[in-house]
Amino acid sequence: MEDSPLSVRKLGKTFPRRLGLSSFRAVDSVDIQMSSGEILGFLGPNGAGKTTTIKCVLGLLRPSSGSISLWGEPPGSRGARRRIGFVPENPDYEDIFTPLELLSMFASMRGLDQDDRKERVLLSRVGLSGWERTRLRSFSKGMRQRVSLALALQSGPDLLVLDEPTGGLDPAARKEFRDIILEENRRGASVFLSSHLLSEVETVCHRAVILAKGRKVSEGTMEELLRTEDTYSVRYAAAEEGPEDVTEVRVPGDLLQSTIDEIRGRGLPIVSVAPVYRSLEEVFLTATGEEGPE
Amino acid sequence: MRPVLTFAQMTVRSLLRRRTVWGISIVILLALTGIGQVPGYGVTTQGRFILDFGLFGLEIGALLLAIGLASNIYPRDRETRTITPLLAVPLSRGQYLMGRFTGAAMIQAVSMIVGCLGLMVVLIVKQHAVPADLFPATGLLVVEGWFLLAVVFFFSFWTSPPLNAPLTALLFIVSQLSVSGFVGLFPRAPGLMRTLRLLLPHMDVFHIKDPIAHGMEIPGVYFLLAIVYGLSYMAFMLALALAVFRRRDMK
Amino acid sequence: MVISLLSLMSSCRTDYDIGEVAPESFEGEACDHSHTGQAGPEDEHSEHRHSEEHEQGSDTEGLSGSEMHFHEPGQRNHGTAWFFNQPWAASFVWGKMLRDSVVLVVLALTVYLGSGYRRRRR
Repeated sequence: MEDSPLSVRKLGKTFPRRLGLSSFRAVDSVDIQMSSGEILGFLGPNGAGKTTTIKCVLGLLRPSSGSISLWGEPPGSRGARRRIGFVPENPDYEDIFTPLELLSMFASMRGLDQDDRKERVLLSRVGLSGWERTRLRSFSKGMRQRVSLALALQSGPDLLVLDEPTGGLDPAARKEFRDIILEENRRGASVFLSSHLLSEVETVCHRAVILAKGRKVSEGTMEELLRTEDTYSVRYAAAEEGPEDVTEVRVPGDLLQSTIDEIRGRGLPIVSVAPVYRSLEEVFLTATGEEGPE
Repeated sequence: MRPVLTFAQMTVRSLLRRRTVWGISIVILLALTGIGQVPGYGVTTQGRFILDFGLFGLEIGALLLAIGLASNIYPRDRETRTITPLLAVPLSRGQYLMGRFTGAAMIQAVSMIVGCLGLMVVLIVKQHAVPADLFPATGLLVVEGWFLLAVVFFFSFWTSPPLNAPLTALLFIVSQLSVSGFVGLFPRAPGLMRTLRLLLPHMDVFHIKDPIAHGMEIPGVYFLLAIVYGLSYMAFMLALALAVFRRRDMK
Repeated sequence: MVISLLSLMSSCRTDYDIGEVAPESFEGEACDHSHTGQAGPEDEHSEHRHSEEHEQGSDTEGLSGSEMHFHEPGQRNHGTAWFFNQPWAASFVWGKMLRDSVVLVVLALTVYLGSGYRRRRR
């Protein structure tokens, strides 16, 4: 258990409302288990409880029930904070400072050696070369997001917690962000990625957890989530001569063999047989119950 | 210790870029200059007047600085969400509180010392002697100011800034009262008033403007004891503030 | 907890109210203002030059016109007892200041460790 970068058990968080006369359950009995070196996608519609869960993981909110441990340590503990890098949804830092000043101060606060050259390299890695001495006041959201990523990478964290990290970025910058996440993962870091961008999660994550109305509604590897239940696509050429005119049929698993036999019996060449995958969007909409009216 | 000092440095830089500190400091210096312009009834009386009102001005300055510096720090950090990345990774809540407090306390101490030097200049210009106890007296006012800062931080974790200022000012005023003076505020419930007074600090410990204005010598041990008392109360208020802060959710 | 610990402090009830707790030898309440800084219980009041009648007079009387009077060095004027009813002049409360400081430090440590323990338990 202590090797697991993140273990969340039966997490619940309730917020009081109307001076405590009523309450709102933001997260309800959520379980998450992360393996070392894994990239876990954390999905859910607005108000699903993603940010609340992340804040509980970081020790910013006190869970109302359940438990959280990071390498066996409680959230917010010194040991846990030392091994985490965090990119918040809103990259709000005091805007009177420059990225270089912030990196230098964060290094000192984290007990790291301050190295101007290293910090410049880091800023260059996140695409802020030339902006080292400009105050954050004049930065766009996307640029602040990059500063945020640089701060998160500064200590070479074992767990990167990313809360909608690419919200303010253009497509090219998003790709750069994804590449950095993958590089960090290759280095050995585990990544907990909360995102609205399903394509992003689909591309980089090994596994995903889907949350809706504060509850976990689906979980699995990308393969498990995207694969439809026992449906196969059989593609075959319509004529014996060649595969110019290809036809596709989708059949349930129990009819797969008989369908193949029938096509072969007609003397038509089979081009491919493969399980049918859904898009993550379909998976997401089905799991969260947000499919529009037919 | 290093995270606290770095964060304190960050706080100093951040506070100096706001207008509040400069505004209050200029008002204190103008008030001191104004005191020097008041015609005295005689040379001795004017010197006493300048010292008495000058030290009183510094004391009120300590209160205003405490409120102006600290009442909005935590609410502002919450509102702008700058607190989230700080508490998520580099700082514990105790380090956050101590860093912010130390930064504000440094600015307050420097402002008070500048005020004291201003008072000294006024005395010299008006050709009055500068009593040796003026500096330790200012030291006591600095400690009082730090205690008030701790009070402001304590209130800031569970009230809004507009409520924080009057609460701190009220505490400042009633803490000057003796037990009998405090009971006199509501004589129908002397027991309750005595119990309430028990929980309040004795701020009159920090006030030595009267004897200084009258040229009396204060034993060094008194300064030491008053400083120890002030710092202990400050530590107690900070511990209470931290206990409240540790229970706060960062939504 | 804080209230009960403070209540445990002996004679807290009247601490620092110098008018209430002053020993008989302390003259702050009864006697007056020294022009020379010789404050304290050792002040003698026997050599006042003004009369008993004058002793009961108001501040204004004592300081104006033909009523103006003089004290020997070390003697206090009347009507200024408040001046000496302050901690700096009453050395008998200094020990209590030290005692309160110790209690406050212990309380601060208790609150600090207690709140940290509660947070860790969660």
